[in-house]
Amino acid sequence: MIISIGCDHIVTDLKNHIIEYLEAKGHKIIDNGTYDHIRTHYPIYGKKTADKVASGEADLGIVICGTGVGITTSAAKVKGIRAALVRDITTAKYAKEELNANIIGVGGRICGVGLIENIIDEFLESKYKENFENDKIIEKIDQIVEDDSQVGDEEFFAEFIEKWENGYYPKK
Amino acid sequence: MKIIIGSDKDGLELKEYVKDCLEKSGYEIVDKTPKGADDFVDSAKSVAQAVVEQEGANGILVDEYGVGSFMVANKIKGAICAVVSEEHSAKMTKDHNNATILALGSGIVGKKLAKEIVDNFVGSEYSGGRHQVRVDMLNKML
Repeated sequence: MIISIGCDHIVTDLKNHIIEYLEAKGHKIIDNGTYDHIRTHYPIYGKKTADKVASGEADLGIVICGTGVGITTSAAKVKGIRAALVRDITTAKYAKEELNANIIGVGGRICGVGLIENIIDEFLESKYKENFENDKIIEKIDQIVEDDSQVGDEEFFAEFIEKWENGYYPKK
Repeated sequence: MKIIIGSDKDGLELKEYVKDCLEKSGYEIVDKTPKGADDFVDSAKSVAQAVVEQEGANGILVDEYGVGSFMVANKIKGAICAVVSEEHSAKMTKDHNNATILALGSGIVGKKLAKEIVDNFVGSEYSGGRHQVRVDMLNKML
């Protein structure tokens, strides 16, 4: 499977561990960063990771930040993405089987590494259960957003990154 | 603070419990789905749209797993929704992400934990500062 993965600077080591874990299982990984511990902004990596899934370049995506909320919310805000933020395996299984979730998000400061590995295994290995009810709900979710012009726009956050670098935002 | 709530049929019982707790604490509650919506897409959309339109309002969503409401609410421009099953994330997501909507899974958390999560969420404040650049990014999306 081709898996798109992204994280913020809080959980880079965890993401690197997950990449090794998945590569050992034979998956091909697209690592969207961040690649170090320098303070950065989770929507950049949530969107990058999700864009690859929305475009079909990757089969599924994994996003991780401190609580998982910020980066998974940014992934969810990409057309065509059904992002599930979870803290248990049961919800990961449900999200894939019933909602055909294509991105899984976890909080690196919320879950331990054993649970995170198992959540990812369940997400990757569970199969979508195609039936009328599930198809109908998924269609309703996918229809909320019509415009797909933001997908793949690599300059989408440029104005904010520039303002951050110019000191417009406080560093504390 | 005004709190706008909604659930599907699976989340109805926990939604009623949370509503009762919040009313006892003195919050003004707007219940978008008194009988439970037909599905979580309808409940999450109506609550998220209402929260975005009303400055200062918070939203609470309940369905069986919470994750469906999360998926839907975040498709609304300007909505930042967190699905949470423990107290720490409930506090942190308000503080760092400026989340205004909380999603709970009635099949995942019990009443006691749900109450603690809700109390931590509505009782915490956004700290702004460096977090604002990320919130501005989220709010530009969709």
